[in-house]
Amino acid sequence: MIRLARIELYKLLSLRIAFGLLATSAALTALFTTLEASRAGNSGSDVGPLFTSSGLGTVTTTTGWSMLFAAVLGAVVAAGEFRHSTATLTFLGTPDRNRVMVAKTLCCSLSGGAFGLASGLVATAIGLAITAGHGYHVALGAAPMVGHIGGAVLGAALFGAIGAVVGMLLRSQLAAVIGIFVWGLVLESLVGGLFISVRPYLPYTAATTLAGIKLGGAAFGPAHGLSGGSPLPFAAAAALVAGVGALIGIVAARTTLKKDVT
Amino acid sequence: MAVIEVDNLTKWFGSVLAVDGLSFEVSPGEIVGFLGPNGAGKTTTLRMLLGLVEPNGGNATICGRIYRELENPLRHVGAVLEGSGAHPGQRAREHLRIQAMTGGVPTSRADEVLDLVGLTSAADRRTGEFSLGMRQRLGLAAALVCDPQVLILDEPANGLDPEGVRWLREILRGFADEGRTVLLSSHILAEVAQTVDSVVILDNGRLVVQSSLEDLTRRSGQVVRIRTPLPQDLAMSLAPLGASATVVGLDRLEVSGASSETIGLLAADRGVPIFEIESESVNLEDVFFQLTGTSDDVEEIR
Repeated sequence: MIRLARIELYKLLSLRIAFGLLATSAALTALFTTLEASRAGNSGSDVGPLFTSSGLGTVTTTTGWSMLFAAVLGAVVAAGEFRHSTATLTFLGTPDRNRVMVAKTLCCSLSGGAFGLASGLVATAIGLAITAGHGYHVALGAAPMVGHIGGAVLGAALFGAIGAVVGMLLRSQLAAVIGIFVWGLVLESLVGGLFISVRPYLPYTAATTLAGIKLGGAAFGPAHGLSGGSPLPFAAAAALVAGVGALIGIVAARTTLKKDVT
Repeated sequence: MAVIEVDNLTKWFGSVLAVDGLSFEVSPGEIVGFLGPNGAGKTTTLRMLLGLVEPNGGNATICGRIYRELENPLRHVGAVLEGSGAHPGQRAREHLRIQAMTGGVPTSRADEVLDLVGLTSAADRRTGEFSLGMRQRLGLAAALVCDPQVLILDEPANGLDPEGVRWLREILRGFADEGRTVLLSSHILAEVAQTVDSVVILDNGRLVVQSSLEDLTRRSGQVVRIRTPLPQDLAMSLAPLGASATVVGLDRLEVSGASSETIGLLAADRGVPIFEIESESVNLEDVFFQLTGTSDDVEEIR
């Protein structure tokens, strides 16, 4: 399995899109970190001043994009096999399609982790630079910052895996990519905004809380500033996201993965 | 023992019967043409053979095992089913290295097969920039990279220029001369007639004939055209010989299944005068059209 995952990683690294998505994810993280920093401490803003641990913590954890883009990469890698008809050669080399899916999931999980790491580092660096630029004391300790980056790595790794199984399930690259963005940016914002009590259990929201993002902090629209509810404990949130990925993987293995490759 | 065995293979796509109880065998060291008109079920059969499409009935084995039970299948079978099978964003060398890694052979094989198919100069180009002919060559390189015993090729000459077709023929002949086996599909018999040792012809998902090319040529034989004032008498005299005689005019007869010498001697023996006699070889392509019932379509296209 390790050998198969290494082959999948080699495949992924041979494609420019992997680096393009990584760069886009890092760029959006930089943009949103800067925007959050510009709002920090403003009257009526939900972002506290940068000289507080809460304000700096909000700014240095704008890593949600890395999770969505990790999922997009996973979907592109998995569904791309069908879009470009490369699945034929892949399944000829490894006729056990479940093994292929597991290898792709491992590979996308690893690359998703890299997305999370890059975003975590970018957000932390920009947040600290702006804080230093204002001449403020850094109110957040190294340990929580490293913890947030670690959480971003884990969240993006899990979302990379989810993207891969979604791609295998849908087989359509376009549908998978649109589905991921709609789910993460629209549906979770709507459902989380309407039903505060279910918000901690929504997979993208739960993944973002792993990275220290406050509950609903990665949501768009009116749901963004809503308060109420508390995030799941770290292990529970990780287990929830992993469970969602496993469930989609099982459905894919029992349905579309078995389909004829024509 | 046959290298490839297809036994009563059947496949339905919804209400369409794509392959209907197909059975044939391929022996080691043979190049076999898998022929049939478009939609005859060739690609579906090859995909069932390779475990990509699940049959509704029957089974297909390579080296005595169904494909997915082969240990390290790329070492046994190389296949080209649709162009190169490479991601358009990947470089040719990377694509072949991936195949080599999957098959557990050294990645240096990628450069060897690139050289073999004449793509060394394009090794670092992305495959999306390749012409159709280059993609076919890359597909063959990918099939050969793990040095398999069996090659399965779906329409491998598509997109190749005449020089490329000749090159392909030489590659496949060299492969078979080493005792290895090739099964290649085509919908044009003439395209593969100079390459294959035998043919499996199917139509509407059913086996029409499996034969060596030599036997097929012999079977097709000749048509002997005769001008005689007694065509009916001569036709009746030929029937016991197993020849097929058709009266095509008041004084004309077309005979297949008997040589002009045999007919001449028989006519002399029966006292049937012959004014003209000529024999004409039947084109293999015509035999193919007769067997698959596609001649009318072809006539229309022409």
